[in-house]
Amino acid sequence: MKGFKGISHSKLHVAALLIIMPAVFIAAHLLSGCTKAQTSWMKGGELKTSAKGRSAKRTITVLMVPKIKGIDYFNACERGATEAAKELGNIKLIYEGPTEARVEAQIQLIETWILRKPDVIAVSCNDPVAISSSLKRARQAGIRVLTWDADADPKRSGREFFCNQATFQDVGYALVDEMAKQVGADAQVAIVTSSLTAPNQNEWMKWMKRRMQTKYPRMKLMTIQPSEEDQQLAYQKTQEIIRAYPNVRGIFAISSVAFPGAAQAVRDLRKSGKIAVVGLSTPNVMRPFVKDGTVKTVILWNPVDLGYLTIYAARALVDGELKLGMKKLKAGRLGEVEVRGDEIILGPPIKFTKDNIDKFHF
Amino acid sequence: MRERILIVLIVIMACLNALIERSFNPSGLLEMTRHFLEVWLLALPMTLLIISGGIDLSVGSMVGLCVVTVGVAWGWLKLNIWLAAAATVVIGILAGMLNGAAIAYFRVPPLIVTLATMAVYRGLAYGFSQAKPFSGFPSSFSILGQGYIGGIPVQLLIFITLAVLTSFVASKTVWGRYVYAIGNNEIAARFSGAPVEAIKLYLYAYSGFCAALAALILVSRTDTARADAGLGYELDVIASVLLGGASISGGEGSIIGTVLGLTLIALVRRALTLQLVRTEGQTMVIGALLIASVVIDHILRGRRER
Repeated sequence: MKGFKGISHSKLHVAALLIIMPAVFIAAHLLSGCTKAQTSWMKGGELKTSAKGRSAKRTITVLMVPKIKGIDYFNACERGATEAAKELGNIKLIYEGPTEARVEAQIQLIETWILRKPDVIAVSCNDPVAISSSLKRARQAGIRVLTWDADADPKRSGREFFCNQATFQDVGYALVDEMAKQVGADAQVAIVTSSLTAPNQNEWMKWMKRRMQTKYPRMKLMTIQPSEEDQQLAYQKTQEIIRAYPNVRGIFAISSVAFPGAAQAVRDLRKSGKIAVVGLSTPNVMRPFVKDGTVKTVILWNPVDLGYLTIYAARALVDGELKLGMKKLKAGRLGEVEVRGDEIILGPPIKFTKDNIDKFHF
Repeated sequence: MRERILIVLIVIMACLNALIERSFNPSGLLEMTRHFLEVWLLALPMTLLIISGGIDLSVGSMVGLCVVTVGVAWGWLKLNIWLAAAATVVIGILAGMLNGAAIAYFRVPPLIVTLATMAVYRGLAYGFSQAKPFSGFPSSFSILGQGYIGGIPVQLLIFITLAVLTSFVASKTVWGRYVYAIGNNEIAARFSGAPVEAIKLYLYAYSGFCAALAALILVSRTDTARADAGLGYELDVIASVLLGGASISGGEGSIIGTVLGLTLIALVRRALTLQLVRTEGQTMVIGALLIASVVIDHILRGRRER
């Protein structure tokens, strides 16, 4: 390796890499869709935003972090956020998240971003505790912190508000009410859940049981089966439930993959219309089942509105228009939304039926 | 030669980082290492494994298993946190030794063994913890992942110590020379008296030990123990080792090269994040960097040999 020859090779090597590196850089830059803020990166360590309309409110930079990028649900959130940013006109929205739903990736992203000092960081957290120390660092650096879609531990993280898409109570009640409407208040029902330890699902089930006890005391919950975020397992478990409990009239499938699995099982056993399937999932996944009548109603919230609300909340937070103790927040086309303690409530869940499902694409 | 190129690139990237931040920010750079150190630790044994002609795909899953071990031991078995940490190290070493035993004594190819245990260990992690996350670890435990000694993150000091030791063993001892010899020609190494089986066993056990250490640091840093911890680490680790000049066919590579490779990737990632390049773009750049470096290396090597 040593000697004249070796040196000339190494020079060649270095030269080649020196050419390739910037080229790759620029390519990545162009392909990944630059935002305007990129042009200002040389001007300073902080993001300097334009002084246009200084008499009005100053333009603020909002870093919005989803759990994962590139899935329909979060793309819909991004659409809503972009819409709100355009409407307000004084928001520089940077929507950036990990390509895998891993909390370490979110932590790294947020902690690097703290150096650039955006005005607001709004996160949908992959883990409520693990994310907390990063959010606290952001707060210490003078950045305002919101959570949306999935909350962080409020005490540990010091996050200021949580944009809550729908309370557990509202969703739990809506599921049971819908089932009672479809199969009657005295039907035998069963639940296909995610894993038996999934916190969201357990919280929903708590409120579902409460609704059954108080409003539909004759509705009978026969069994709760786990499907572990696995559509195939949800399919099997649903078939087992129908065989083991032949009088079951309704099945709740309360995760986004359990629902299509359960619906498919009911359809394959030719029980469409005889056994109702009610649950939570996205319109894109459930559209075929809604179209063929196996599923009458899909319950969820509108992620476009959730993204939209988050941006309005960020603006209001910086302007001092969103404070603890407030009861209402004005959020553009959503009108006045309820503020409950340190949570901003998007509103009651929405129902997708065959009449409106084609209007939603996520 | 590879080292020289990497150093040049690192200097360039450090300057770029400074340019973006408008100031040279050593504490920011030290801070940055906290996000990468779990992968960095795993890269040390991986370098030796790849030099010896082996590979360990199960490192990410071993991290998951160890993370869950500390969570379960502390959270459910109510052990003292440091006792739980010790148990975790034992589990990590055992998991690594299991890989090593299958590879060294039963002669199963490393790719197959560790591909299988990658699934097995991850499954165990989910099973033991019942997919339940643990948090709220005692504050004394946060020293590993959130503590500083003289302004330097504790985990970076751990890494530097291990890197120096590993580098010393690899380059200055008989044992280290055997590792290279096995990678170059296992049969020849065996004839010249290298304890091939024992060395393989130790290397995989070392990989398990480092996975346990990475797991403890990760739990301490995020105050959370989840069964999905370390998912996908194996790819980051192997990519860094290869960028650092190790040859996947064995016999070549060095700890210094790996450390330089790791530093380069970290700096590139940081610069790209600060410059608002999206994560998809970042992954692409790292991939391109790896391909470019290996291809150029190959071309030059071919020319030299002709």
